[in-house]
Amino acid sequence: MPGRVPRVVRTPAIVLHYRRLGEADRIVTLLTPGRGKIDVVAKGVLRSKSRMGGHLEPLTLVEVVLAHGRNMDVVTQAQTIDAFPATHADLDRLSAAMYLLELADRFTVEHADAEGLHDLLHAALVRLARGDGQQVVTRTFELALLDATGFRPELVSCVRCEAPVPAEAAWWAPVEGGVMCASCARSHPDAQPIDATALRVLRAFQALTYEEAGRIRLTDELAARMEQAMHALMRAVVERDLKSAQFVSAARRARVAGESPAADRGESRADVEADVEGDGEGDEDDQGASSLAE
Amino acid sequence: MNDGSGPFLPGASSPIARLVEAFHRLPGIGPKSAQRLAYHILRAPEAEAQELADALLEVKRSIVFCAQCQNLTSRTPCEICSDASRDRHAICVVEEPLDVLAIERTGGFRGLYHVLHGVISPADGIGPEDLKIGELLARLRDVDTEVSEIIVATNPNLEGEATAMYLARLLRPLGIRVTRLARGLPAGADLEYADDVTLGRALEFRQEVQ
Repeated sequence: MPGRVPRVVRTPAIVLHYRRLGEADRIVTLLTPGRGKIDVVAKGVLRSKSRMGGHLEPLTLVEVVLAHGRNMDVVTQAQTIDAFPATHADLDRLSAAMYLLELADRFTVEHADAEGLHDLLHAALVRLARGDGQQVVTRTFELALLDATGFRPELVSCVRCEAPVPAEAAWWAPVEGGVMCASCARSHPDAQPIDATALRVLRAFQALTYEEAGRIRLTDELAARMEQAMHALMRAVVERDLKSAQFVSAARRARVAGESPAADRGESRADVEADVEGDGEGDEDDQGASSLAE
Repeated sequence: MNDGSGPFLPGASSPIARLVEAFHRLPGIGPKSAQRLAYHILRAPEAEAQELADALLEVKRSIVFCAQCQNLTSRTPCEICSDASRDRHAICVVEEPLDVLAIERTGGFRGLYHVLHGVISPADGIGPEDLKIGELLARLRDVDTEVSEIIVATNPNLEGEATAMYLARLLRPLGIRVTRLARGLPAGADLEYADDVTLGRALEFRQEVQ
């Protein structure tokens, strides 16, 4: 019964998103280590004199104090622990972070235990902010998230007949959750051929630690193929379009279009920073991405 | 709990209940406010009710998007776009029509506007293709354009930043200077409670005391 619930709790949390409530309040969705995903009310945060507003922005690790409310808990204090400023200064990293937040949101239900997920998301956001390869961060996060939520994709054996599938003859069946052998794929309308190297790297990512995975060199084209396969898989699992995945691709397309020698040098500082690519894998999938996700 | 849909009123389909329900659907109006407004209209002279009804219908029938800035207007091009005294070298890009009013109130900007009607927000299912970005590019690609600066005045939050950086990336090949509203402490703020990002920006873009 409610009598057992402590009146005030203090917890770290990652802000996933928020929606407006009334004139100046917001309902903020948090991912916490102990209580999973929860919706809480933040009162008065839209007023410019709010003491909490800036601390409850999406893509922020905060420490919040929550007072037990009748329907939803109410935030009484919020203090930023990490706002990942480097991520905010680079459109590619920012769009990737928005994708991670959307995945974390779509793969969780309110109040279900998500201790592993909070740590997983936090680690991925830290890696993005410090400039690790965006592709490695995103792909390893996707695979770990699928593992943690019981959707681990089958990358080695056929999802239909369970026969081992050689990478050179593999087909990709996102709706079925993994690879298919050529003979099973024939009777499956949605199966697509998958690039052998892309599949090998995905298999490696699934088996290796993050640090080991980070040592694998990816060409732009290879990264694009992996992204295409994984976006299709994530879409199939959550059974809806992931708008942030499309934005990752749109942001990259805009960069490719903008990388002409005539670029003007008068931009503000944040904009110039956005153009200076810092991630380890370099510029990933410039050409390939254009055809993705749409 | 009463959700305002009618049980406290004589007959849920009565004209009063319909009016309360109509007010209740407006943003920021709860069941009690809806009742108060409905009974106010009931007590007011008929002319006042007629004026309200006419104003409501007129706004729906006559308001269109300005062909240039995409703001809501009763004639296109809108008053600001057709004002010859405005500076045609700068366009201020805002999220919503209300933001135009906010910036106009400052009296500090004499250029033109462009209203995006939203902001890139994957969490709400809104991507760049859902905004009036194509219209902005068309304006800037116009051979007669005199625009040399785009001031991106989207809100300083995750979606606003993403939209601003995306716009900057799109506009760079056009050789137009793209700037962003400064970000710092609001009037009456308290340093102790400021978030790190705001305080960091305020420090970074500090100004000499005049």
